[in-house]
Amino acid sequence: MSDVVHETPVAHHDEHESTGIGNRKLGMWVFLSSEFMFFGALIATYLLYSNRGGFEGTYPSEIYDIPFTSVSSFVLLMSSLTMVLAHNALSKGDQNGTRTWLFATAALGAVFLGGQVFEFTEFIVQSDMTLSTNPAASAFYLLTGFHGTHVAVGVIMLLSLWGISRRKGGLSEEHGMNLELVGLYWHFVDIIWIVIFTVVYLLSVPSA
Amino acid sequence: MTAEQDTHPSPAQYWKIAALLAILTTFEVAMFYVDRELGLGGLNALILISLALLKFVIVVGWYMHLRFESAIPNRFFTAGAILALALYLVVLSALGVVVIRG
Repeated sequence: MSDVVHETPVAHHDEHESTGIGNRKLGMWVFLSSEFMFFGALIATYLLYSNRGGFEGTYPSEIYDIPFTSVSSFVLLMSSLTMVLAHNALSKGDQNGTRTWLFATAALGAVFLGGQVFEFTEFIVQSDMTLSTNPAASAFYLLTGFHGTHVAVGVIMLLSLWGISRRKGGLSEEHGMNLELVGLYWHFVDIIWIVIFTVVYLLSVPSA
Repeated sequence: MTAEQDTHPSPAQYWKIAALLAILTTFEVAMFYVDRELGLGGLNALILISLALLKFVIVVGWYMHLRFESAIPNRFFTAGAILALALYLVVLSALGVVVIRG
């Protein structure tokens, strides 16, 4: 990774404090660190109940559709690419590129959410696994539902920035920091899904 | 902004990183099916967790630009991740979900 470009950022109006980083950006990093604890608790709860027997009804690991979830994971992973391309375009003053990549990121996030709604519907309608079927199902819906909520919030923020970028003059310097903060949030949502996909989906299904 | 913060990957590098992430994800899914056939057990878990960790580090380091940031966010994020992992490993091992052999 030695081939790097030296950007002249448009954005980053945030003044740097004695910490060497802007207060808003530092606040976002602290927030994301605390989110680790939040999702850690939900993942731990799922692991605690995922294979615990003695309860009636369908367990999530019995009905996972791994090919479908793999495609959803790929979509979310690629949305991180479009996010950094939006950030890169803005840093070069390319308003059209920023608009395009921002919309692509929001669209990929929406596709992921659509997949999650489809998955939940399948589980509830076809497999009769609801939020109250057993503790494993509750933990599954709680974890993936909260992650989905985070994605939905991200999509709303992305669409807001996209809407602002469509106005005359596009995104200003002040919006640049907003884009960077939304980007950090979006990548965080992606890395949490990387963990969920492996721990909750791939490792929960018992070997044949 | 420091010189270190000014130095970010180029779009071409971002595409290469995405291709690498896609390959790693494909490998993860392939491992899932290999395990279904061969029943690798603990080895499969080790490989899948290693792949997930690698993807995690790549996204945090290059897409979130953490490796180009100053020490403060690096410490906050790394400490948060390690503390969360340690705390929940302890909790899950205490509850018998994760078995840590010494």
